[in-house]
Amino acid sequence: MGLPTPLYDLKDFPDVYEPSEDSHLFLDALEADQESILARSPKLACEIGSGSGILITGLAQLLKNSCAYFSTDINFSACRATAKTALINNSYVESVAMDLLGMFRSPFDVILFNPPYVVTESDEIMGRGLDRAYAGGCGGREIIDKFLATLPSMLSENGVCYLLLLKENNVEDIKEKIRGLGLKGRMVLERKIPGEHLFVFKYFR
Amino acid sequence: MKLLTHNMLTSKCIRGVSVGYPLIINATEVKVNQTLFNSEFVSKLIPKVDWPVLYNAAESIGHSEDLPKEAPNDFEQNEEFLKKAHRALVEIEVISGNLVCPESGRKFPISNGIPNMLLNEDEF
Ligand SMILES: C[S@@+](CC[C@H](N)C(=O)[O-])C[C@H]1O[C@@H](n2cnc3c(N)ncnc32)[C@H](O)[C@@H]1O
Repeated sequence: MGLPTPLYDLKDFPDVYEPSEDSHLFLDALEADQESILARSPKLACEIGSGSGILITGLAQLLKNSCAYFSTDINFSACRATAKTALINNSYVESVAMDLLGMFRSPFDVILFNPPYVVTESDEIMGRGLDRAYAGGCGGREIIDKFLATLPSMLSENGVCYLLLLKENNVEDIKEKIRGLGLKGRMVLERKIPGEHLFVFKYFR
Repeated sequence: MKLLTHNMLTSKCIRGVSVGYPLIINATEVKVNQTLFNSEFVSKLIPKVDWPVLYNAAESIGHSEDLPKEAPNDFEQNEEFLKKAHRALVEIEVISGNLVCPESGRKFPISNGIPNMLLNEDEF
């Protein structure tokens, strides 16, 4: 079954990341892996950095009311946009403004993250606006690495995390890191678009 | 913010806070939204929920209604209980107000149903 791209309307939210090639690759990865997601019968799912909210809403369209959906973003407009996108698609997402998953005490069964992955200067990771959708700092890895360090404690026993990466993030090095955290990893999809070679990986125990 | 979400949030990462749980709810607007009941889903959720925290949260905003103080042992087969749990977990919604850290008193405003739990750099 195809996973339709959720509808969205960002006209009231000019400072929210407009779904782009990376977002669509992510949706395609969820679609390609849907049997495996369904087989885990997740109950709690969260998207970090949900922006417009199309990824978590896409997941909600797949799993319907067998699961509860959450999202976080450091951009409060993005949190509002996500709640709205869910409603437009007859879904429901609990949106909370926070850094990564830092204010949640319990693990999730599905974690989605299309992170700010662009290689920038560290001091470009500033404020809470649209720049934060891109700026990944050194190697594009600063937010990614901070996230990965918390992943083992935020992933439930049977949980799975989907993460989008750019070749320049040093995918091989991240593989090592994942092993070091005691997790397994597998590439779900990759795609070359002008100027970017993107991957979606999944991590699990 | 639904009470399921409240059940999962903590202010532990604030510097100097050791547990940060449960957060206090000061609600100025609460709504009850009927949603489709899925007994299988709710019964799988119960073991993940801190029941006394859920009960106290519902009571603190005037919505404990006929919610039991403890989850029964037979909850998986207890449809009547699961319906009450469903209502408390995902139908009651805090639209505006504050979440308050029980230790530091730090307030997290809730607006449009969305808690703002962003911290300043000097807070963690
Ligand atoms: C590349 S955009 C992805 C948006 C959307 N998920 C999509 O795929 O179209 C990255 C998002 O992460 C958010 N973000 C950046 N750093 C974050 C952090 N530390 N915690 C939570 N969200 C963050 C940004 O505000 C932005 O909305």
